[in-house]
Amino acid sequence: MDILLQVLVTGIATGGVYGLIALGFVLIYKATGILNLATGIFMTLGAFICLTLLTHLGLPFWFAFIATVGFAILLGIAVERLVLRQLIGEPIISVIMVTIGLSSVLHGLTHVIWSPDYRSFPEIFPPEPLNLGFAVVPSGLLWGFIFAAVSMIVFISIFKFTRTGVAMRATASDQQAAQSMGISVRWVFALSWSFGAAAAFIGGIVIGNISGISIYLGDIGLKVLAVIILGGLDSIGGAILGGLIIGMLENLAGLYLDPLVGGGVKGVAPFLILVLIIMIRPYGLFGKKIIERV
Amino acid sequence: MRCGDFKESYIKDEQIFQSLFVKFWLVVFILFLFVLPFMADPYVMYIANLIGVAVIAAIGLNILTGFTGQISLGHAAFAGVGGYTAAILMTRFDLSFWLALPCAGIMAALAGLVIGIPSLRVKGLYLCIATLAAQFIFEFIFIHWESMTHGIRGINVPAPTLGAIVIDTEKKFYFLTLGIAVLAVGFARNLVRSRVGRAFVAIRDRDLAAEIMGISLFRYKLTAFAISSFYAGMAGALWVCFMRIVTPEQFPFHLSIQYLAMVIVGGMGSILGSIFGAVFMTLTPELLNVISGAVSKAYPTLGQLFIPMKEVVFGTLIVVFLIFEPLGLAEIWRRIKAFFLLWPFSY
Amino acid sequence: MQRRLLIPVLAMVAVLIFTSQSIAEEVVKVGAVQPVTGRFAFAGVHINAGLQDALMIANEEGGINGKKIQYIMEDGTYNVDVAVAAFKRIMSRDNPVVMYGESTGMGKAVAPEIKERYKVLYSSTSFSSELANAADNPFVFVPGPTYSDMFGILLKYIAQEKPGANVAFFYSDTEFGKDPVPYGREMCKKLGLNLVAEEVAKVGGVDVASQVLDLKRKNAEFVIFQGFVTSPVDAVIKQARDYGLKAKFMGTHWGTHKMLLDKLGPLAEGYLGVMPYAFYYQDEVPIMAKIKAWNKTHHPEVEYRPTSYMQGFFTGQVFVECLKRADQMGQIDGETLVKALQSIKDVDVGGMMAPITVVNNKIPMGRVYKANVQKGIFEPISDWIHTD
Repeated sequence: MDILLQVLVTGIATGGVYGLIALGFVLIYKATGILNLATGIFMTLGAFICLTLLTHLGLPFWFAFIATVGFAILLGIAVERLVLRQLIGEPIISVIMVTIGLSSVLHGLTHVIWSPDYRSFPEIFPPEPLNLGFAVVPSGLLWGFIFAAVSMIVFISIFKFTRTGVAMRATASDQQAAQSMGISVRWVFALSWSFGAAAAFIGGIVIGNISGISIYLGDIGLKVLAVIILGGLDSIGGAILGGLIIGMLENLAGLYLDPLVGGGVKGVAPFLILVLIIMIRPYGLFGKKIIERV
Repeated sequence: MRCGDFKESYIKDEQIFQSLFVKFWLVVFILFLFVLPFMADPYVMYIANLIGVAVIAAIGLNILTGFTGQISLGHAAFAGVGGYTAAILMTRFDLSFWLALPCAGIMAALAGLVIGIPSLRVKGLYLCIATLAAQFIFEFIFIHWESMTHGIRGINVPAPTLGAIVIDTEKKFYFLTLGIAVLAVGFARNLVRSRVGRAFVAIRDRDLAAEIMGISLFRYKLTAFAISSFYAGMAGALWVCFMRIVTPEQFPFHLSIQYLAMVIVGGMGSILGSIFGAVFMTLTPELLNVISGAVSKAYPTLGQLFIPMKEVVFGTLIVVFLIFEPLGLAEIWRRIKAFFLLWPFSY
Repeated sequence: MQRRLLIPVLAMVAVLIFTSQSIAEEVVKVGAVQPVTGRFAFAGVHINAGLQDALMIANEEGGINGKKIQYIMEDGTYNVDVAVAAFKRIMSRDNPVVMYGESTGMGKAVAPEIKERYKVLYSSTSFSSELANAADNPFVFVPGPTYSDMFGILLKYIAQEKPGANVAFFYSDTEFGKDPVPYGREMCKKLGLNLVAEEVAKVGGVDVASQVLDLKRKNAEFVIFQGFVTSPVDAVIKQARDYGLKAKFMGTHWGTHKMLLDKLGPLAEGYLGVMPYAFYYQDEVPIMAKIKAWNKTHHPEVEYRPTSYMQGFFTGQVFVECLKRADQMGQIDGETLVKALQSIKDVDVGGMMAPITVVNNKIPMGRVYKANVQKGIFEPISDWIHTD
């Protein structure tokens, strides 16, 4: 029973981090309808940029963090301007493939700029774990969860309470109506990409802190697809809840199923869950029910 | 300049080789392909075999993605199913290669049905993600079903035999690959101009209208998925017999992306495009390797920098083609042909 | 009509020209397919540097009885297809007498052809026991002990320290990770050790909590890592402390390196590893002075050379020794090189290892090191142990 509680707690903490990365996907999908498969490499970039600012320029952490988010915003705007604007009107598969192509380009550039050596962050957070009595939360996960939670609260507040947020929600709901109300849809697209990139960057920093930085850090981004399917592709709340659920399920599967299969279940469990959800309820927990059934 | 080229019947319009000129050059090309092995070294033969396998896989994916409009990010997994099936049949059950190959294709098609039935009921993006999940699930099965697949050790595959001849060199295998690729291309080309092919295209373009006209969307989508997986399975089996070994690491997600890139760069919805795409995407990394080798000899430090640029070039190619030439190499080819055909009125 | 003929004919001629051979030169050629990009790049870059430096140093010291060594390297991207293509390209174009490969997968793919057609001396980055079998394929050798040998050394050490102890294996879900596990299981039985758990994790996994908890539940006293370099070893050790798991952690070649100690800091207390080669900071080793001097002149920006470099360098040393012996035996070709390899007995390699002997196409020797947390380095706590 003890182990079970511990596993659940760790699952929730991990799930929080997954939720943050899922937010990176959802923010972009909600506004522009594009599934950004370059989210993984965005995470890697975020971690590397933050690392370089911390170690080479010796900036204090908060400064580096804000600067990294600034980079994310620039990246988002750049991607929207240079790449996506050319693809308006093209079928969705083209845009998804472009994000894959972009991912390759950025991956190669990361390799060239930062070399493939494995790195780690200097100690940013206090290393003591949180002892809850019935469970222990390791420091990396704990602070990752805190960061994820704070970032999510910030994003959701922006969406609910600022004019920009309202403009983004309006565009996501109905582009024509939003345009006729005077909202610049192009700017909203650029902003959504910026926010999505920012969420991914922060996610990358968190993951980099937990398991180190390498050019393959972003591979976890693919696992997070299960989270967004569970939560609903265009639901922010769904991303968060989905993250927590997947985090817990994954750990439970690992604990109980690993001995049966010889290990490695944690890697494949999210994908099995994903297929299951698509079969039963493809729009997820909170997504819009506009799936056409054949 | 070809003129007076009008058709008087649907049959003539649908002809694959529409003039004597085309037929003549096709024969010359096929002769060239036959003569090539006798002049080339093992490295070129290796690449030729790789291209052959890629052509078969790319055509399969194009049928699904280019002609029917269903995105699949898991094509490599089905190639893996085919590869493992062939390996297991040839080692455990001592089946001959000639039986194992179609069985591999059928097994892969069945796997395609298993994945397709739940995920083809929903559209677009969801199929994309479902095939991605399938990719990782199959990889997991390859690694962990050790009793069948020997896990990460892999299976050593014997060489195919044709009577007394053992097909164990690149040259001999090349003829095998060439034959199967020609058959694959022929079947696909005929498929897409048949009733089934037209149904595929209708589903891609306007599925609502197609359904109204009586085309059962689910049945045809499933057929496309099955055929595409069959092709993938055959490609996988061929490749595995060529490399004489099958391991789970041979069918990663990156390979699925490569196949998709071949289809996109070559031209979606065009069989010739699949061939172009397969050739182009196989030769480009090799060409880049040759260039980086030459650069390394002249400027060693620059060479070290150049090597990771291959991935950048790969990504850039995809992005550039998608932005500037969404119909791919096939379209460029059509334009070149039109230029020559219609000269001096080619505008 | 003429215009349309020109382009296709030109294209065909170009292909035919491209496929023709190049002219050979009077040097000794060593080819290599290195994983300088791809998943293994963090090591591949250093392995390449090590191998190249060893060969170039040999050139400075007179080459192969006067003949210079030419090093030809291509990128394999840690992908079997690309690596085999590069292998074949180098063989066709340059016809070297010695080849180096980038992975176990590639090694297994080209091994039959090396035996039957190419007949070159071949070694690789892999320590897989499948590639060290003199009877099966005499051309292929492992430049050190196999992973199984390394497990054997660690298990023997455990059996001496605490007979009947609870042992757990923690490995990655790859060939690299799983290679020595069956042998490990057997050895545990033979040595009377209690194999209580086997944990599997992905490289770079975010969360290893359930695996660590399982280790705690099963009361593991010694945990051997295999198939990881740094991540998630550091996460496992850290979380083990957090959850109160008191076990000693150990690693094989790829898990015994300075970067891990840097990452772990004080948590590295008690970490043991088995390493076949000397470390860069071991100034008492004669060859290190040479390596440091060479790197200062040729790679001044490098501060430290990791164990992957040492592996490449050592392989280069073995290559040079085989080439010299083959040349003395009369001719430098595959079969003579094999004889040269088998004749290596008690050869001095400047302290990189104790004097080496080739046994069954591997060099089954290693040393147990303990982490010195204050200095952030590994220090040897055993002498050179020979397995087999």
